[in-house]
Amino acid sequence: MTPIGVDEWVARSGDRRDQSGWRGRLGYLDARVGWWQRLFLVGLAAFVYGQFVVGGNVNYAQTGFNVLLYAILALGLNIVVGWAGLLDLGYIAFFGAGAYGYALFSSHAFGNLPLASGGVMLPAIASIPIAVAGVAILGVLIGLVALRLSGDYFAIVTLFVGQAFAEAANNVAPGTLGGANGLFGLQGFHVGSAAIGSTLGYYWVAVIVLVVLMGLLHLLDSSRTGRAWRAVRDDSLAASAMTIPVNKVKVMAFAFGAVVAALAGTIFAAQQSSVFSTNFSAQTLILIYACLVLGGAGSIGGAVLGGVVVTVAQQLLSSPIDSAYLFYGILVIVLVTRVRPWRYLAAVLAAIVAFGVAAHAIVGAISHRAIAGSPGSAGWFSTALRHYVIVPRGEPLTYGNILYIAAIVMVIVVVQLKGIRRLIAVVPTVYVGICCWEARLTLDPGITAQIMIGAILIVTMAARPEGLLGTRRVEVV
Amino acid sequence: MAPLLELEQVSLSFGGLRALHALDLHVGEREVVSVIGPNGAGKSTVFNVITGIYSPGGDIRFDGQSIVGHRPHAITRLGIARTFQSLRLFLNMTVKENVKTATYGRTRASPAESMLRLPRARREEVEVEAIAEDVLSFFGQRLLGYRFNQPAYVLSYANRRRLEIARAMATGARMLLLDEPAAGMNPNETHEITELIARLRDERGYTILVIEHDMHVVEGISDRVVALDHGEKLTEGSFHEVANHPEVVEAYLGRNPEELQQ
Amino acid sequence: MQIFIQTLVTGIVTGCLYALIALGYSMVYGVLKLLNFAHGDLYMVGAFIGYFAIQWFGGSTSLIIPVPLLLIFMMIVAGLGVGLLGVAIERFAYRPLRNAPRIAPLITALGVSFILEDSVLLLFGGFTKNYNAPAFLPFSQSIHIDGVNIDSVQLIIVGVSLVMMFGLRELVNRTVFGKSMRAVASDREAAEMLGINVDRTIAMTFFIGSAMAGVAGVMSGLAFGQISNIIGFLAGLKAFTAAVVGGIGSLPGAMIGGLVIGLCESFSSSYISSQYSDLIVFAILIVTMLIRPQGIFGRPPLQKV
Repeated sequence: MTPIGVDEWVARSGDRRDQSGWRGRLGYLDARVGWWQRLFLVGLAAFVYGQFVVGGNVNYAQTGFNVLLYAILALGLNIVVGWAGLLDLGYIAFFGAGAYGYALFSSHAFGNLPLASGGVMLPAIASIPIAVAGVAILGVLIGLVALRLSGDYFAIVTLFVGQAFAEAANNVAPGTLGGANGLFGLQGFHVGSAAIGSTLGYYWVAVIVLVVLMGLLHLLDSSRTGRAWRAVRDDSLAASAMTIPVNKVKVMAFAFGAVVAALAGTIFAAQQSSVFSTNFSAQTLILIYACLVLGGAGSIGGAVLGGVVVTVAQQLLSSPIDSAYLFYGILVIVLVTRVRPWRYLAAVLAAIVAFGVAAHAIVGAISHRAIAGSPGSAGWFSTALRHYVIVPRGEPLTYGNILYIAAIVMVIVVVQLKGIRRLIAVVPTVYVGICCWEARLTLDPGITAQIMIGAILIVTMAARPEGLLGTRRVEVV
Repeated sequence: MAPLLELEQVSLSFGGLRALHALDLHVGEREVVSVIGPNGAGKSTVFNVITGIYSPGGDIRFDGQSIVGHRPHAITRLGIARTFQSLRLFLNMTVKENVKTATYGRTRASPAESMLRLPRARREEVEVEAIAEDVLSFFGQRLLGYRFNQPAYVLSYANRRRLEIARAMATGARMLLLDEPAAGMNPNETHEITELIARLRDERGYTILVIEHDMHVVEGISDRVVALDHGEKLTEGSFHEVANHPEVVEAYLGRNPEELQQ
Repeated sequence: MQIFIQTLVTGIVTGCLYALIALGYSMVYGVLKLLNFAHGDLYMVGAFIGYFAIQWFGGSTSLIIPVPLLLIFMMIVAGLGVGLLGVAIERFAYRPLRNAPRIAPLITALGVSFILEDSVLLLFGGFTKNYNAPAFLPFSQSIHIDGVNIDSVQLIIVGVSLVMMFGLRELVNRTVFGKSMRAVASDREAAEMLGINVDRTIAMTFFIGSAMAGVAGVMSGLAFGQISNIIGFLAGLKAFTAAVVGGIGSLPGAMIGGLVIGLCESFSSSYISSQYSDLIVFAILIVTMLIRPQGIFGRPPLQKV
């Protein structure tokens, strides 16, 4: 072993930590696998999913497609937000513009204009470049104007550009853009007679786009352009003193993001074979942001992972049995990771079980009707929980609503408490949460999914602002 | 021989505050000039007008070409690079990346070329790598080896100052503006900085304009010293001339109370 | 001329509502430099509280208490309830992020907005609810001048808004709280070192801003009748426009901005097309930002080297 200096010893102290146990082994693996191997693994996973898991199930294919779509969108947003540090709240407009662009050039939309009776039915190979190039120009123009502003003001203007897009798509030229009815009957991707007709087909298109895009963006990240973006994010004044034309570089990032979003938009439009202005609402924008910040802004892998997590979570939350796995899985994981040492954990878990059984027995002794309802989860959970949760027969909504508010209040109280009191308070809180889940939240999976995503955003920001794969950044204000 | 950098009647005010007034300053090729003066004298403002952060009245010529109104990145590309008093590194980037970033103006590969790793992009990356290792090796072992891949925010204060100088060197500039390079350093490090500035000129041929408060450093490095106060030049000349000039002494220490009473 | 004046009246009334919401935006931005996207949803929650207050007292057609009492009760309950909700949100969502990267509180605000909107949807369902205010505030109580109708509801809105804005001005300019709020807004750390209780000041700011949004929610319910869980987003966006046009962080700016947006909206919908009124409002914002990013009353930020 070669001797090392003090500086180096200090510098390597981080490496010496965490070298035992599963974390150490994971870290070792992490350091061993190179970037391109990882990209290969991503491609392989996508291939295995499409080839062996989907197996003709349209829902699975659609979920896979949605995952890829959000991953691509998050990748594009990562260029603008993660690398160049521009808070672009109008990103959704470029996604929409790409989709509408494709829709206009590959449908009957222009049918009511003179000279274009029957619409411009261009093949995808022509309409995609037209749409993407159009959005690129739009991106550069908006970027040039909006980037005269910095920081929050830039965020504000882009937010309104995004809103203005949705308003315009809804209200301007309803004869051509379809207004609230949207555009439908779009042509799918086809070259000559070879056409993509199934969701699985678009899944493969999206896989290719994603993998190629990840590769290209990785190469870009480690080039002069990528460095310039990150420099501008860290300190734009210093960047300009170091030969970087700050404005040009920012516009470039903005336009690159727009192009990726537009590309995603064309694939989305073709797969749906229709576009509606409501597809491009602020809600969707927030979902894309959720993907990015959850995965870790600034990291390509993070953006993709975020896309997977958010989309899969949404999908799971819409099915009773899967959402139960997700809910109880998260609950157990949170308890296991947050409650230490082990004997406390065991005590808390036992207390939660005992508390529920006791509460169920007491309430059952007072009124049989109060426990006569059945839990909302499906499958063996439902059977297992029948003698645990309190779900009355009739009026599940009112009861569930009260529990929902109670659960929120109790969570707030638990966060406030410290030490042993918190441990004790956790028990009824978890129980009320479970009852609420069974009695109310599983009844409206769509709403529950939105609430969960909101909660995930808040918790992630509080616990790990850099996201799952992101690296913690220092920020000089 | 015409001086490399020439400021002629440069003035700048912020609202009613006169930051610089009719300042004349010149720096010859391979000369080391120090700017001294009490706090608020306008020293950093001089750097800011030269590097294009503020647009002053009057004329600034670099290598015979007027640079007033050029934007900062264009001025750096012409050959004037600076460091910052308050240390403005790209903290989340690695040491090596910090330096590589500064070569933006010397490279030409478009994003498409970089994404596809076309020949020009490959060639430039190799060059950039060589430049980075070269300028970092100028500082001895301090920024080499394992340091290459450390993020800049883990560096010590002195190493951050060194990295800022390395970054300025990597821009390919002929002239360096160093804003208080010895601020916050211990005596050893201060001594080292003094030697470093001399080496920058002797080994690498840089022309250097320095703002510095530490008079030992100023004495050790300067070919010529310029004293500023209230945005105006008090005097200039050799270190000893300037240091003993009555107006300079007054600007730093105030007037002798006995004289005032007379 | 009649149409003109009628449009003016409508514009002023909606403008007052936007101004009340915009004040909250501006105050919060002032003290935390946070774009609180959940603020519009607080207004929505206020509207719901008002609706349930009406139901509590027997419903719009068979009230069991006098109308003035009901109005006062609604506004106080909505103000208090939404104010406390705002304080809770600040405490649990934003306070842990005081020193986090700039993007973190913004994302959290989006998350809070999601939760508020969907919690109301979960609890009360997606059907629009109706205040049915004309049932207890009959149209006959309105004023007719030269064919221009001024509703009693409109008078109430303008009156209450003026009182609240005036009160806020006095509060900010004359009280200790106002001083500490301005101190926190200009430099939080320095304010803390001077012994100002920063946490309490920020909580108070959230309370006042949210309470005004809550009252605005009640009044909009009275004026427009229909409420649902999604009304917060658009109203929030417009109020935000108002805050930005007036100069975000500036209180008189938020009031003027609210009026400007209200008037623009009512004039563009009666003279151009109601379809384009939102688009026009957004266009105004974008143009304002580009010409004068700091807004009408704002001060340009200093750049430090």
